[in-house]
Amino acid sequence: MSFRVRLSSALAVIALTLPAAASAEGKLALYNWGDYINPEILDRFGKEFGVKVTLDTYASNEEMLAKIQAGATGYDIVFPSVHMHDILAKLGLLEKTDANRMPGFANIDPAALRAKSDPKGEYCLPYAWGTVGIFYNKKKIPQLKSWKDFFDYAAKNPKKVAMLDDMRETLGVGLILNGKSVNSRDPKEVKSAQEMILKHKANIGAFTYEVVPLVQSGDLHAAHYFVGAMMYVLEKPDTLAYVIPEEGATMYQEDICVLKSAPNKANALKFLQFMMRPEISVLNTIQQKNGSVNIKALDLLPPEIKSNTNINPPPAVRAKLQIFEDLGKDLKTYDRAWTKVKTN
Amino acid sequence: MRPARRPVRWRLVGLLAPATLLLAGLFLVPLGIMATYSFLSPGLYGGVEWEFYPFNYGRVLGAPLGDVEEFDPVYAAILLRSLRLATITAAVCLVVCYPAAFWVSRLPAPRKNLFLFLVTLPFFANLIIRVYAWMLILRPTGFLNTALDTLGLAAFAPDLMFTEAAVIIGLVYVLLPFMFLPLYAAVEKLDPALLQASADLGATPWRTFVRVVLPLTAPGILGGCVIVFIPAFGNFVVPALLGGAKVMLVGNTIEQQFLAARNWPFGAALAMLVLASILVFMLAVALRAGRANPSVRS
Repeated sequence: MSFRVRLSSALAVIALTLPAAASAEGKLALYNWGDYINPEILDRFGKEFGVKVTLDTYASNEEMLAKIQAGATGYDIVFPSVHMHDILAKLGLLEKTDANRMPGFANIDPAALRAKSDPKGEYCLPYAWGTVGIFYNKKKIPQLKSWKDFFDYAAKNPKKVAMLDDMRETLGVGLILNGKSVNSRDPKEVKSAQEMILKHKANIGAFTYEVVPLVQSGDLHAAHYFVGAMMYVLEKPDTLAYVIPEEGATMYQEDICVLKSAPNKANALKFLQFMMRPEISVLNTIQQKNGSVNIKALDLLPPEIKSNTNINPPPAVRAKLQIFEDLGKDLKTYDRAWTKVKTN
Repeated sequence: MRPARRPVRWRLVGLLAPATLLLAGLFLVPLGIMATYSFLSPGLYGGVEWEFYPFNYGRVLGAPLGDVEEFDPVYAAILLRSLRLATITAAVCLVVCYPAAFWVSRLPAPRKNLFLFLVTLPFFANLIIRVYAWMLILRPTGFLNTALDTLGLAAFAPDLMFTEAAVIIGLVYVLLPFMFLPLYAAVEKLDPALLQASADLGATPWRTFVRVVLPLTAPGILGGCVIVFIPAFGNFVVPALLGGAKVMLVGNTIEQQFLAARNWPFGAALAMLVLASILVFMLAVALRAGRANPSVRS
């Protein structure tokens, strides 16, 4: 999910401080994706526990990893995607929290325990999930259902569609269209995904994350984007739409992990428990318009979110979603393919 | 004489020490780390493995092939494209700024200062915000095309967003002040009496320009070109935002190696190659300048 609002975090590392609760009792330092938590949650946590909460943001898993590996200390909690959760675990950077023994853990969907390194939830707590599909302007394209529709439209209207500037997401679309796993380690399969994207490249206007204002204005008609677009779709349902393509899509999930180097471990554990509460979890889902991992919170959701099949897809659609795994050394295959896609 | 000179020399050492330490600590040491990393093998999750691995350069240059690391001409193509765009950027900046520098230098002092202030004004806003603003100008329904539309020139409205032209516009915009200031400094020093003398001695305006103005402002032209060319060569924000990342430049490739691909040594090797090509370029420029105008050498 390295496409999440890159610009906003590049612009400002927001330090959100809560002076009301700033007392001697302690601190909690979060390191999260940009715009990926409802500020009200931090506010409430700070007030309830008398803790001063700070929030720094990153734009990609790799950026976070590089910073933690470079020895950045002072952060208590990070929000890695599932494959990065596995990497952090392999590198021995995570603190065992016994989250699964906390009283609220029963609220968490067992299917959301996706990290291979942490199948029981002894380290991290599932946070939120979503799909990566197509965000489009209905004034330009009345209906769009699939990647086939997307590329057919692009062939007739060159340069009016965009895909993500993301190695694995965009090559992933090629793999999905070829009926392969988005975690393929077979150089031949990755190569044919590369060729698939290259075949359409002339019709693709851009590889970029900054599509929201362009789709809203109609400068781009459709763009490969994540479910966070629902934030804008629900505001203007007549103009904008988001769809999970029929051929399948990738999904992402982030987990809440406590770092081994965390200076405020006790508060970090309190935060995990706090996030298990359905009434807190639901605050985030309502603001973020993404998938919830908290079963109890689902019942508290307003109907327009709960019944929205993009935010809360039915089982048949969920079955077509694939999640990225860490590929270790085989990542190189994707790097080479992606450099070719962007150069040729 | 001797005892008198000594304290002066120590004072000099003292005065130069901060700059020397700063350069050594913040430039040479990181450069050394980069050079070292570029000969190591990548760690699985970023960082490096401490084993000698010479193939990072081979991937670009093709020299030591072997089956460990296959050579790929794509990287040479990326370097050449970056070189081309940086050269165009420097040339456009020069064409825009050279006449402007003359104009500003002939203004009365208060207005001159106002214009100099205006040139540096963009530095007060964040680079990314300024580049983002160009997206609003260049996009099909953006300010440029809306303006053309209002003037009844809709037929000429270009679709510049996500093109190489947009990248060049962005780079020129960002780097223009770096060209203007050294040019202005050189032009300002040009004594109008020399132009008059040249004319009095029968030189045509063109001859005066080629034989008097150009040689005397050459240091400014060179300085401006060099400090525009170098950041244009490695810039990755502008091609990503305005070029729609469809035009991969070397800056973007290096960023990809350090983040998405988690291959620090290859990123370091690419960065070292950029450094080497800039050094070669600057050396060539300096040699040519020295030959064309011996006074520059001294």
